[in-house]
Amino acid sequence: MKSARVSMGLIVGLALIIGVDVSLAHITPPVVLVSERDAVLGMTGGSTRFFVREVRLTSDERDVIERQWGWRPEDEVYRFYLGRDEAGQLVAAVTFLTEYTIHGPVRVAVGIGPDGKIKGAHVVELTEETYPWLKPLLDQDFTQDYIGRDSRASFGLGERVRRASPESMPQFYAQIVASLIQRGAILFDVAILKRGGGKA
Amino acid sequence: MNGITLTRLPFSAKVFCTLFLFGIGLGCLAAFAQAATAIGLSYDDVVASLAPETPMTHLGHGQFSAEREIDIGQLSSTAKVWIRTPLLIQTSHTHLFGQTLIAGLLGLILLLSSRGEWTKAAILALPFVGTMLDIGGMWLTRFVWQPFAVLVLVGGSTFALGYCLIAAIAFYELWLKREEHV
Repeated sequence: MKSARVSMGLIVGLALIIGVDVSLAHITPPVVLVSERDAVLGMTGGSTRFFVREVRLTSDERDVIERQWGWRPEDEVYRFYLGRDEAGQLVAAVTFLTEYTIHGPVRVAVGIGPDGKIKGAHVVELTEETYPWLKPLLDQDFTQDYIGRDSRASFGLGERVRRASPESMPQFYAQIVASLIQRGAILFDVAILKRGGGKA
Repeated sequence: MNGITLTRLPFSAKVFCTLFLFGIGLGCLAAFAQAATAIGLSYDDVVASLAPETPMTHLGHGQFSAEREIDIGQLSSTAKVWIRTPLLIQTSHTHLFGQTLIAGLLGLILLLSSRGEWTKAAILALPFVGTMLDIGGMWLTRFVWQPFAVLVLVGGSTFALGYCLIAAIAFYELWLKREEHV
């Protein structure tokens, strides 16, 4: 009977370990809000033809971005979806950028006009853990506050956002989204505009 | 195992084993539903979620820009999860710990079965092997070769097969099999 007690103790102990492990280190399932196609179509209205441009930043460009904006782009290649009209003129570009936080990834689609100004932005993916923090702000379309700003503008949180969600976590994640929108404008500025624009 | 078998366990231990197996079974069903809705259950779904993002242009090494026209239909119209490396790391560590512990506990229950040693060894190995194939297949698909995605499907199925066999043997011996008197 002593062996039986040892066996049972082992089983109960393991069950407790599993419970603790699952509750502490659970994976937070992703929440995908918008498909890539819908995000691109939504921010390139008036386009009749679509192009994909992939850019690799030079080390000089990475240095310039880090010096000027305090962020160093680490990805090997950045991708822009370009919408053009019948005449081949750029209507808008859309890029997808992700920030990996301790509560999971936040992915944003950023639409930029040919002049480098933000035309629109959508949070396309976050996690079940971060979604409740951002939902009140998403319901108010807070990303629209950044429309019309270019890479040199301020991308801080507006008074509207601070009033709507005064808690720290919504504001923390709203700032991450705002930074991603600014990064989209920065990349377009450096990798498209400064290299001769969005001509085909 | 030292004369202690599932058949001879006290009533409370039988209830514990039964509820544990039942709970893990429900967990497996929930995991199956999560995989089916977030990723998909076909080989193509696994490849689409795990394989590295393939370039859409012919941007070669040493080139700094490349462009080509696309049909907008080429972009995904469904909101699908794409497992990037940081999420793969997170998934791996939680699932390797969690599934291995579950496999260990399932194995402990099977050790108390009165089946032969070789049968028990083969069956209790299934959840362990399945876990390693599953997680290993994810990394191999992402970094080595896309067809390794089949390992993810085989691994998940192996884990499920191991659970089903262990649960079936355990339920039978806990509640249906009569104790053998020597």
